[in-house]
Amino acid sequence: MTAAAVPAEGPTRHDPGRGGFAAAVPHALVLSRRAVLGLWRQPNVWVFGSIFPLLIAAVQSSAFARSTGLPGFPEVDSFLQFVLPATIIQVVLFGSINGGTELGLDLESGFFDRLVAAPTARVAILLGRLAGVAVLAVAQTLLYVAIFAAFGATVRGGIPGIATLVVLSVLLSVGIGGLACAIGLRTGSAEAVGNSFPLVFILLFISSAFFPVELMTGWYRSVAERNPLTWMIDGARHQVIVGFDLSEAATAFAVALVIIVGSFWLAVRQLQRRLAVAS
Amino acid sequence: MSLPIEAEGLVRRFGELVAVDGVDLVVEPGEVFGFLGPNGAGKSTIVRMLTTLLKPSGGWARVAGFDIATQAPAVRRAIGVALQDAAIDPLMTGTELLHLQSVLHGIPRREANRRSGELLERVGLTAAADRRVGTYSGGMRRRLDLALSLVHEPEVLFLDEPTTGLDPTSRLALWEEVRTLNSERGTTVFLTTQYLEEADELAGRIAIIDNGRIVRDGTPTALKAAVGAPTLLVEVDEAHLVGTREVLLRFGEERPARDGRVAIGLSGGAAAMATVIRALDEAGVALQHVELDSPSLDDVFAEATGRRLEGAES
Repeated sequence: MTAAAVPAEGPTRHDPGRGGFAAAVPHALVLSRRAVLGLWRQPNVWVFGSIFPLLIAAVQSSAFARSTGLPGFPEVDSFLQFVLPATIIQVVLFGSINGGTELGLDLESGFFDRLVAAPTARVAILLGRLAGVAVLAVAQTLLYVAIFAAFGATVRGGIPGIATLVVLSVLLSVGIGGLACAIGLRTGSAEAVGNSFPLVFILLFISSAFFPVELMTGWYRSVAERNPLTWMIDGARHQVIVGFDLSEAATAFAVALVIIVGSFWLAVRQLQRRLAVAS
Repeated sequence: MSLPIEAEGLVRRFGELVAVDGVDLVVEPGEVFGFLGPNGAGKSTIVRMLTTLLKPSGGWARVAGFDIATQAPAVRRAIGVALQDAAIDPLMTGTELLHLQSVLHGIPRREANRRSGELLERVGLTAAADRRVGTYSGGMRRRLDLALSLVHEPEVLFLDEPTTGLDPTSRLALWEEVRTLNSERGTTVFLTTQYLEEADELAGRIAIIDNGRIVRDGTPTALKAAVGAPTLLVEVDEAHLVGTREVLLRFGEERPARDGRVAIGLSGGAAAMATVIRALDEAGVALQHVELDSPSLDDVFAEATGRRLEGAES
């Protein structure tokens, strides 16, 4: 065995240091580009998720077309117009999970190690993934607005209303994407992140997504009224069925921001936990 | 000038399991240092510690002069790492991955483009540079992995089992690349392998690791010379094993061999072969196979651990 020639107290090279926030920006940008490229080149991971909410909206608008005349139902052009915001939020929720599954795949494949073994700003690993889901959310929102408009369900809030929907989608995608990243980092498994999908689905169904809370009864109504998704959907819905009003969207923005803060805190904690094994 | 790698008493425990048990290392500048051992010996755990991916449970190490525990970011800037399995995003092209790696190392765009072009040419991937990695063969992936680990011209290059799972042609190509890199640029290479031939071909100095401990180290020539006598390996049918062993032990000390074989270190060397064969014939042994091998790294491993490495590979 070779004896170590230098004692532990021996000279250590001076580290000139480099990095910090200045390094984090280009790292986040290049990893965001990778995330977007990955989505673009792998349409199967989001195409089906993007079609599914449209099918639900189509079935519901056919089944519940006459429900818009019920007392207590808000004034809308059609049921399709009523479900537009919920359909957007649904597709954004599904798309956002992708941020976590991709991070899980990076952990499974060892690409995460490649990033960690390089002088990568740690937070950029998360930001890159979140940027990917945010870009997807913008594309999905604009696509849905266009498709619904083609079927006569327009956004009464016009361009400012659409912009509000887009900003809400981005915030929600970052919030839910952060949560998915936290699960991915905790479990190190893309499959585990995918399995959290039904939870999101249940949250959505017990909200005002597909029916006004005013027409619900019992425990279902109680839960729906307290479901943060209801507050988000109602704020977004106002832009679609009434008109642009930023104050109506304030609660929705606040909910999204709270989700972002909470999920980002969780994701950073899980990232630190995972990196704690490293030097 | 700092030593590329130095470590003392490096330990890593996973619960009750001691994966690395007090490893001391000194790797000199410009050296290709081979870390040879079977699966599960602790090779990758040591690489993960030296590349800052895993905290040591005990001991200390410096890489490129930086302490792995307290100066991890500086270590990461100074090293190139190609880990086992070449984890490369299959959706990206070679050029895109080199660009990504360059940005992570803070290399200006123009410089990055120049180096990427050079590296792609060097590893023979210029034509495939704009193809997605998912379409690459195993050998191409490893070569790209090598290029990625070199983009910032590292002082120390870590290659963790770089040719595991590769076909012989790709293996030879990668060996050539490592040799060139070392001889032309003087890059210090720390290479782990479970292949005897790979360690023998590439490494100027070898450490043999087993159960988390270094059991031998030195140049391949010195290690083999220390084993001394060549190995005589005899294969007979089961019924003759005991008799064969009895005869052979008159000519040298027994060495580990797989089932159905008896091996000894033939003290008299090749000159004693005729006598051995006559003795076996007189004992009525029906030989199935006989070979006399100069001491190999496998013999070194066997002498140190009591087991054979050859054939234990996955």
